[in-house]
Amino acid sequence: MPDNWGFVAAAYGLTAAVLLIYWRRLAKKEREVERLTAGRSRERLTAERGPERLTTERSREPSRTGHPRPDPDSRPPLQQ
Amino acid sequence: MVKTLGWVAAGALAAGLVMAFGVAPREVTQGNVQRIMYVHVPLILASYVAFVVLALASLVYLIRRDAGADRLAHASGEVGVMFVGLGIATGSIWGKPTWGAWWTWDARLTSVAILFVMYLGYLLLRGTIDDPERAARYCAVLGIVAALDIPLVHFSVYWWRTLHQPPSLMKPGGFTGSASILWPLLINLLAFVVLYAYFVARRVRLLRAEAEAAA
Repeated sequence: MPDNWGFVAAAYGLTAAVLLIYWRRLAKKEREVERLTAGRSRERLTAERGPERLTTERSREPSRTGHPRPDPDSRPPLQQ
Repeated sequence: MVKTLGWVAAGALAAGLVMAFGVAPREVTQGNVQRIMYVHVPLILASYVAFVVLALASLVYLIRRDAGADRLAHASGEVGVMFVGLGIATGSIWGKPTWGAWWTWDARLTSVAILFVMYLGYLLLRGTIDDPERAARYCAVLGIVAALDIPLVHFSVYWWRTLHQPPSLMKPGGFTGSASILWPLLINLLAFVVLYAYFVARRVRLLRAEAEAAA
């Protein structure tokens, strides 16, 4: 009987392909759930701390160039 | 733990490939096409393991209403359907050059096709019921009933006249072939059972995370 290597390759190739697809599908779903969980915890944090406090904190963060912003109370009044 | 299981599965699969192509001899009557057996038989036997685990986990769920048992049954069913589907496909590829047909409605092939369709239905049923508690209860009953087909699949080659050969490993008197065929078969069986455990562990973890995210 001939060896029929093509059939052997098809059987092993099909098995490898399906297992790989399932493995990648699991990894993709895990990433999606992680993203969803991270988004939920950010929303929960915002709800707990309140948006006002977060805005105040953001105004005190350093600017993009790296220079620290002065405290609003220490700024001199605008000249008339 | 899950990652380690994954590496063990990958190593065992690599060892199984080496055994199937490097150690196992060329079969006298079928030639090299018989090497399909080293993937076909372990896939089918690992799917039996999957469905037995599913049935036991379903029984535990019905008794204790434990969500963990339901997640195990769900994960085991998903991997089992994939394995039995691949087992049918590789068997069909093996059947064409040896029997001259991709498919024949003999007792073994028909009973395994019924097993595949029943567990495919099990997964579809989960997707169609919105209430998770009700879905788990219905699926647990279906999972146990469908498992009754496993002995039918296994003994069909004895009970009816079939084209399919009798079992190689799980038969009265044990394996009667040479050790050069037995060891590659056992290593591949071990590899697919470890791979099953890895996929199930990962799927259970994912199902738990999905349930927590949805809560």
